[in-house]
Amino acid sequence: MSSERGLRIRGLRVSVAGNEILKGIDLDVEPGRVHALMGPNGSGKSTLAFALTGHPGYSVDGGSATLDGTDLLALAPDKRAKSGLFLSFQYPAAIPGVKVSNFLLATRNALKTDPLPPAKFRQLVFEKMDLLDMDTSFLGRYLNDGFSGGEKKRLEMLQLAVLAPKYAILDETDSGLDVDALRAVGESVGAMRDDASGKDTGFLIITHYPRILQHIAPDVVHVMLDGRIVTSGDAHLAQTIEREGYDTIREAQSANA
Amino acid sequence: MPSVAVEETRGGPSGRALAQVSARPEAAFLSAEDRQRAFERFEESSAQRERPGRYWKIDLDALDLSNYDPEIANPGNLAEVDMPPHDRVVVTDLLTASRRHPDVFRQALGSALGDAPSKFAALARAFASGGAFVYVPPGVALDAPIELNYRPRTGASFPYTLVVAGDGAQCTVVVRTVSDATGVLSCGVTEVVAGERARVDVACVQSLAPDAVAIGTCIATGSAGAFVHFCSAQFGARLAIEALEIDVDAREMDANISLLFFPRDEQHVDVLSTVEHRVGDSRSDTLVKSAASGAGQARYLGNIRIHPSAHLSDARLKDDALLLSRAAHIDSVPALEIAANDVKAYHGATVGAIDEALLFYMESRGLDPQAAERMIALGFFEPAVERFPASVRAELRDALEAKVKK
Repeated sequence: MSSERGLRIRGLRVSVAGNEILKGIDLDVEPGRVHALMGPNGSGKSTLAFALTGHPGYSVDGGSATLDGTDLLALAPDKRAKSGLFLSFQYPAAIPGVKVSNFLLATRNALKTDPLPPAKFRQLVFEKMDLLDMDTSFLGRYLNDGFSGGEKKRLEMLQLAVLAPKYAILDETDSGLDVDALRAVGESVGAMRDDASGKDTGFLIITHYPRILQHIAPDVVHVMLDGRIVTSGDAHLAQTIEREGYDTIREAQSANA
Repeated sequence: MPSVAVEETRGGPSGRALAQVSARPEAAFLSAEDRQRAFERFEESSAQRERPGRYWKIDLDALDLSNYDPEIANPGNLAEVDMPPHDRVVVTDLLTASRRHPDVFRQALGSALGDAPSKFAALARAFASGGAFVYVPPGVALDAPIELNYRPRTGASFPYTLVVAGDGAQCTVVVRTVSDATGVLSCGVTEVVAGERARVDVACVQSLAPDAVAIGTCIATGSAGAFVHFCSAQFGARLAIEALEIDVDAREMDANISLLFFPRDEQHVDVLSTVEHRVGDSRSDTLVKSAASGAGQARYLGNIRIHPSAHLSDARLKDDALLLSRAAHIDSVPALEIAANDVKAYHGATVGAIDEALLFYMESRGLDPQAAERMIALGFFEPAVERFPASVRAELRDALEAKVKK
């Protein structure tokens, strides 16, 4: 195990059902920093998220990924979560019959070595819900069952806040959200980063629209095309994409090739 | 309850055994002729709900009951009663009921079963030798449940529970059939007669020993505006056969059935639910949640019949089955027969394993695969558990958790 902190990805190649999707990804997300990964539909962004979290449908064909020195790729999905990785799903699963409160408690106690007594846990959850401006009635509902798109994303943000991971991947958290819901999600992440428990969390925000980045200012923006990160820059890169789309970058790539 | 010596007959529930039962003074709440008619009905009728199929190989008509000698219990001996004190509500044994409340008792007993009860209901009626009579007079609403516990100890027992709710009465009755005794057969009937605008919730929970045979019939009839809800949870026994039927024969009746069953290892569960909409402007809702693990097998037949004149019936049947092992099997056959034009009817059934996407979602949040599977499986049952009376939900959850863990 290396002592180097960060989510470090080197030469990662991933295939799905025999089709190579990621063709060698190099990426470093440092604690407390926000990286945005942008790219058009089908460029491989979500594949990277699922491969890092260990989805069984994604086959890693080469490369490495470490989290604060721990070899992520050698671990089962739950062990990856225990090492500090969190994925906010684009399409969170609905699980009827499992109450939000029970799920939060089970996951919190699975991840942390200091299981909280119920009263303390309730206090923690209420604090986070307050931070995220969420109604406590969420807790009595079944996990994502019958939730609107915006409610699902807010619940992902609540889990993120309660579980306080070292590194969080937000996979198209902005998709399907209206302007108000998007602002609420952005503010949620902002509030989390202002809080002591979230200030060291490293973020990888996957999106194909720059809109969410108006609410969560990125330190670094990467652009993925056809399974490769083709360029990286500061927040201005997102503004360029907003103005010109991905064509300019794609054309520049073609010219270089 | 006082301890009473148990007398047994030999050779199972035979004609000779029936004569012995009928001769007992405690059995006098039902005439020997009534018992004999019921026994003939048992012998003549078929229990086979459909032909044994590729997976379901048990021939219910060929069940050998000769090893289960009838336990001829004293009245009230089988039921332990737990209920809040109330000066107008009656909970007593059937013999006492037949003497002290003859009009209500005579009018209600068998009124839902009718003249042509099913095979096993007929057997239970023939040998009825213990049980309880619950009478909630008109207008009386009980908040706390009436709890009846049947604890078969040996051989075959035939508890008969009769619940009568007067007009506008409200009650919840919990009937537990529970025992660790080996080699027992329990064959019972729970009969409900609900008055106008009465509200009756009955929950039957069966957890007998792994080698037991549990046979149950829950049957109800009601008057206009009556609400009847049968909840049934089948956890124990090597073979559990359950039939639930609500006869909707009055306007604005509201009929509800909630079922939980979970065969594990070598257990078999066979459940039939039937709602007969004979009169329109009525409503029914059936929810079934089942799972099977190991080599557990189950068959569920769910019938909704809307008769020709039952316009404005609103019927719903939802049946979900979860398979937790490769050898587990659940046959699910929901069936709607609709003979009226202006009705609403819905039925849906799902049978499947745990969705991999749900497992991954939970594992990605730090739950190990076993914990994730357990949580999903328990959650799967929860919509049905929440329809049971509050006083039994904790024990249902515990029983389900124990089933999922093993």
